[in-house]
Amino acid sequence: MPFAYYARLSRAQQAVYRKSDEIPDVRLPRPAALHPAVEALTTALASEDRATVQRATEQMIRGLTDALAVPPVKVQVLAARPHAKWGELHGLYTAERGRTPTIQLWMRTAKQRRVVAFRTYLRTLLHEVGHHLDYTLLRLRDSYHTEGFYKRESSLFKQLVPEAALRAPGRSPMSPMSVDAWFGASPDERLARLARTPDQVAAALGGRREAALRRRPAPEAWAPTEIVCHLRDAEELFGQRMATILADEEPALPDAGPADRWARERQYARHDPTLALEHFRRRRGESLETLIALPPAEWQRGGEHPARGRLTIDMLVAHMAWHDDNHLEQLTRALEGRP
Amino acid sequence: MPTMEEYATQPTAQRLERLTRTAAQLTAAIKGRDEAVMARRPDGKNWAPKEIVCHLRDTEEAFAARFEQILAMEVDPKLGAPTADRWAEERQYLRNDPQEAIGAFRKRREENLATLRALTPAQWNKGALHPVRGRMTLDTFLNLMAWHDDNHLDQLARALEGKA
Repeated sequence: MPFAYYARLSRAQQAVYRKSDEIPDVRLPRPAALHPAVEALTTALASEDRATVQRATEQMIRGLTDALAVPPVKVQVLAARPHAKWGELHGLYTAERGRTPTIQLWMRTAKQRRVVAFRTYLRTLLHEVGHHLDYTLLRLRDSYHTEGFYKRESSLFKQLVPEAALRAPGRSPMSPMSVDAWFGASPDERLARLARTPDQVAAALGGRREAALRRRPAPEAWAPTEIVCHLRDAEELFGQRMATILADEEPALPDAGPADRWARERQYARHDPTLALEHFRRRRGESLETLIALPPAEWQRGGEHPARGRLTIDMLVAHMAWHDDNHLEQLTRALEGRP
Repeated sequence: MPTMEEYATQPTAQRLERLTRTAAQLTAAIKGRDEAVMARRPDGKNWAPKEIVCHLRDTEEAFAARFEQILAMEVDPKLGAPTADRWAEERQYLRNDPQEAIGAFRKRREENLATLRALTPAQWNKGALHPVRGRMTLDTFLNLMAWHDDNHLDQLARALEGKA
């Protein structure tokens, strides 16, 4: 399924789009050789020093262009991101005839002026390198944001940060995918995952009676009812975060505090699990409606979380997919009396 | 019962002091009331006493989130619309234990008082855009909280008598 803007492209452009969409990955000959550069980038960002980040970024990008035997690209690391009406710029790729192409990356957020989280920075870097590769490696006449483009970005990310590849899509359901693996999955895969969850919870609860669902498998582990209530309230928070992100430019996202506090204060153990599931289903439906109506570019809008750094809608969706997996697994265990 | 505008004329310390009393007032109001009275709605659409107590608890949490967002941002954030009735339904207020709910309210209230007491004069003037009330500074939030307490304590006294 091409993105909506495909329909507005000329025939020639559509051909370029389709070609881009068909290529799901870019293979590095020896990914491990680049792992020290990734390490250096992590350290550089932690130093918060622009010149240090510039050097580490150049090293990372030169490592990639050399490994793939493509022409070099100039790199410029800048401080705070520029702030525009349409959102915040994270990175920019510029190619002009007869000149060495340039990648510009911003290491601080516009509003809060915090240093961007490492994963976000590396993702942005790979995104811009992806544009360079579209022209130089894949020889495309234009570089579109296709699903294939995002998959290629993810494939590079997984090769550079191998822990992200440990739990790849399609593995056994007993080993849930990591947040990063979900981050690498396509928007459609993620939305499909989110859409399945209410039915999976319903199937897991089966016809069990309320008293059985209220039993905690261990003093500190939630009972099935509490897990369902948690999914319901987490969905409300998810919806709220998306609304907050979409209402403002780079807003601050409040910390919701520990989930256990909600369980205690809102007295989950006393709730009716059937009703909780029904309300979770309703909230989830609302989240999906919002997400389906959102143009792809809007998925990159975000806000700053005090503990987790910048969170985009894209990241929230990956997190929710992982969160569903995680609690479905916990629910299965709790129903068997295991913590 | 003072209006929000009347609260606005009171010194900050006096308004903060008003907020310190609410948890004890709630405890006193429901003392000795049995479950049937606590869970009885005065009519088809008005809350039962325990729903009012839970509403105060959850609103206190929402206030904290708003304060955190306002204090973290350099511009006024846009706030979402309040959804009190939906909370009452989804969080199943009628199944809650009201004493426990007051305990949780007391804790959240103490946390908010600590936040408010630590504000600098410039921070009191930081604000947000409320979908119904327009721009609200932290100072006007304090008026709102004081009035909101009064309003729901009054509603609680009526609900305990079976009145809307």
